[in-house]
Amino acid sequence: MSVPPLKLPFLDEAAARHRSRTSDEPDWLLGERLDAIRRAQELPAEANQLFTPYLDLRSARFAEIEPYAEAGVAPGAEDAALPPGASVLLHVREDAVVARVLSPEARNAGVIVETFAEALDNHAAILRPLLEGSASVPETDAFAQVARALSTLGVFIHVPDGVSLSAPIVLRWSAGTPGRGLINRTVVSLGADAHATLLEEQMDVEPERVEAAAAGAPATQCLWWGTVELHLAERATLDVAGEQNFGKATLAVVNRHATVGRAAALRWSLASVGAQLHRSRIDNLLAGRGSSVRQVEIGFGDGNQLFDLTSYTRHIGEDTTGDLLSKGVFLDTARGYIKGLIEIQQTARGTDSFLGEFSMLLTRKARSVTIPSLEIDQPDVRRASHSSSVGPIDETQIFYLMSRGVDRDTARKFIVLGFLEPVVARIPLPDAQDRLRALLEAKWPASAPIPNTTAA
Amino acid sequence: MTSTRDAVRDRREEFAFHDDLVYLHEAKRGLTRATVEEISALKNEPDWMLQFRLRAYEHFLKRPMPVWTDGLDRIDFDKIIYYRKPSEREEKSWEDVPEQIKQTFERLGIPEAERKFLSGVGAQYDSEVVYHSVKEELSKLGVVFMGTDQALLEYPEIFKKYFGTVVPPEDNKFSALNSAVWSGGSFVYVPKRVDVPLPLQAYFRINGENTGQFERTLIVVDEGASVHYIEGCTAPIYATESLHVAVVEVIALANSKVRYTTIQNWSNDVYNLVTKRAHAYRDSRVEWIDANTGSRKTVKYPSIYLREPGATADIISVAVAGKGQHQDTGAKAIHLAPNTKSRIVSKSVSKDGGRATYRGHVKVAPGATNAVASVRCDALMLDDLSRSDTYPYIDIQEDDTTLTHEATVGKISQDQVFYLMSRGLTENEAQNLIVQGFLEVFTKELPMEYAIEFNRLVKLEMEGALG
Repeated sequence: MSVPPLKLPFLDEAAARHRSRTSDEPDWLLGERLDAIRRAQELPAEANQLFTPYLDLRSARFAEIEPYAEAGVAPGAEDAALPPGASVLLHVREDAVVARVLSPEARNAGVIVETFAEALDNHAAILRPLLEGSASVPETDAFAQVARALSTLGVFIHVPDGVSLSAPIVLRWSAGTPGRGLINRTVVSLGADAHATLLEEQMDVEPERVEAAAAGAPATQCLWWGTVELHLAERATLDVAGEQNFGKATLAVVNRHATVGRAAALRWSLASVGAQLHRSRIDNLLAGRGSSVRQVEIGFGDGNQLFDLTSYTRHIGEDTTGDLLSKGVFLDTARGYIKGLIEIQQTARGTDSFLGEFSMLLTRKARSVTIPSLEIDQPDVRRASHSSSVGPIDETQIFYLMSRGVDRDTARKFIVLGFLEPVVARIPLPDAQDRLRALLEAKWPASAPIPNTTAA
Repeated sequence: MTSTRDAVRDRREEFAFHDDLVYLHEAKRGLTRATVEEISALKNEPDWMLQFRLRAYEHFLKRPMPVWTDGLDRIDFDKIIYYRKPSEREEKSWEDVPEQIKQTFERLGIPEAERKFLSGVGAQYDSEVVYHSVKEELSKLGVVFMGTDQALLEYPEIFKKYFGTVVPPEDNKFSALNSAVWSGGSFVYVPKRVDVPLPLQAYFRINGENTGQFERTLIVVDEGASVHYIEGCTAPIYATESLHVAVVEVIALANSKVRYTTIQNWSNDVYNLVTKRAHAYRDSRVEWIDANTGSRKTVKYPSIYLREPGATADIISVAVAGKGQHQDTGAKAIHLAPNTKSRIVSKSVSKDGGRATYRGHVKVAPGATNAVASVRCDALMLDDLSRSDTYPYIDIQEDDTTLTHEATVGKISQDQVFYLMSRGLTENEAQNLIVQGFLEVFTKELPMEYAIEFNRLVKLEMEGALG
């Protein structure tokens, strides 16, 4: 009764070999691709028996899509302007790196921002161990293996030992050309005692088309399929903020995989608003003693969007902490499948782990599935719990706001935005934060004026 | 609480026997179409039941083994004996029961229990109901409480109307197996507005090596009526693996109230794979009170389908998993109509390498407006060889649903143990008392004698495990 493998017209060995050859890759990396091709072709599309009933790819028309076979750095990319308040900007537009700028601070500190092709020439000793042996993506996840097999663009970001970057690294992806898709990998490594903030922005290449697609005819789909593979050495800290606002015809497949070393701390703040189908999987490996992850993830769906959000956290080291929160708000016939699994291995004494999955349905046809699971082999925990709730907007809260002179619809909107605010408040750049607020507000169907939310 | 300090006899030892009994009819090992036909013929069943069995048999062959839980592939269906009939006909009164079987029940304590408070007894000896008595007043009220086989012949209309409607053979592989070879179990019909004043009780035993037990229970509670049904199990201990595959169907019609209590204590070689489901109609209330302490592996998720407005579901599920055991239990509440309510409370204890799994499903279907559901799962792990899993599925398709789910996993608090030891308890007694307190949400729902027995069972499980 297991699920069949993924059926993707572009998944074949010749494509993997072609990509490896055109990027001049070393043999070991071709070997990685071929191993991944075999896995991607053989693995069930959902390998976890717990979650097989909630794999739904019906809205995806992969046959329409021809992924880019080559990608590279566009001329003039180094001349782009650095956004105010950022230390690094890397902008990938469709199949090309169109901007790559480092602040003097980042450059002097030895921060590396390169494509895999460049990094394998210049920093192979750092990158190779992170790519070899499939350690940095889940071995049994078919979606991750597709990226490992067929990626045409690899991005490598490295923050050396002891470097503390005060301003965020901005990684911007623009995609949306009908019928095309980018398959990519991003590897981020932080040395010991390094501290950084990463802002990942995913947007439509032509934002005005968001409106057109929402209005009617089914547009030709496009694809963005990528990984973020994080490696935090001891005592490193990394804040990752993500804003996914692709167009409504985009299929977005994201694998995020983090290995967290001794006393290192990772924070995720992820918001998803766009895409027809957003399939996301996050893996947090709390390997080092005293390592921790805090994760806040929100999805706000309307129309017939599907947010398929899975989060795995493995407690391996002693005294690790996991604090994971997912929230979904769904309008129209939008659906959210929020799946989570916390695993406390026998070695993980002193674990503190919490998993929360909360949904709000705003229309009768919307649907929410939450599966917060626990697998525990070590009872010596500080805390191991999860909670979940699904509910309508609290009428007493609406009543309270209305008694203050706010009309009903605006009151509802306030309450929903408040529900999502914990993620918004953690987006590092003020501009990006405002943009996310505007996106969430724009989801609101009614004509009521946008409330003036205050920046946190 | 003084009772917890009494010396407790190992009562399972007392039940861990089997009688050398001559079976009047013993089917051959293994399952074929001929086995199914033979069972049906021996029981003089109407043709529709034979057809039902054959349809189920075909489905059983086709249906793959579930893969979401492990270990089921170790069952060798060819080694199982699918039908045994220890006596020629059902006995009406205690005096007529063959002496040897009577002795077995004496040791199980049935007559005493009956004298004390039970209103009826259906005792299953292997595959057939052999003893059955219903008190006069219940008969006068029109309550039917008899073996399922007998009910098929005596109450054909009501039987055919409801049998297989709640759990169709095609529901899962094991409901198909049960439907093909079912034998025995209880049939209960409570007429309109009849309130059965005392619990109805059935004892089950598996006797005989490699005997599969495939009882089938059907409970129909008519409008405005109420009943409490209790089942408890003990089984002799054998080295080879036994199989218990039951189906329980409950129909709670409008304004009725049904409580079904189970204390499952199969010996640790039994695979206990049970489909239990209730249909709850308008303003009715269904309660599953379900405890699993025995068996090698139990797979059981008592379910309630809330089919009409105002229906309420209440499920309390308790599991104790010791050495070599996997309790894969849980609950399902399926909201199909407006203004329905469900509550699920699950408590599990795992120790000595045992594994306790909670698997639950709460679904609010389109149209089931204003549903309220809550789930609470707590797990206690007594050592780091053991394992605890929680797999809740929450699928909501109405915007005005209120659902909450919470779960915690942990170990016994050393502060509590220390406090109790400072009051003169040994460490073992202290831990035992804490586990009993943890499970009290279940125990307090039981009739008093069962509660005492259950606490003794827990104490028994705890002894030797700790300290």
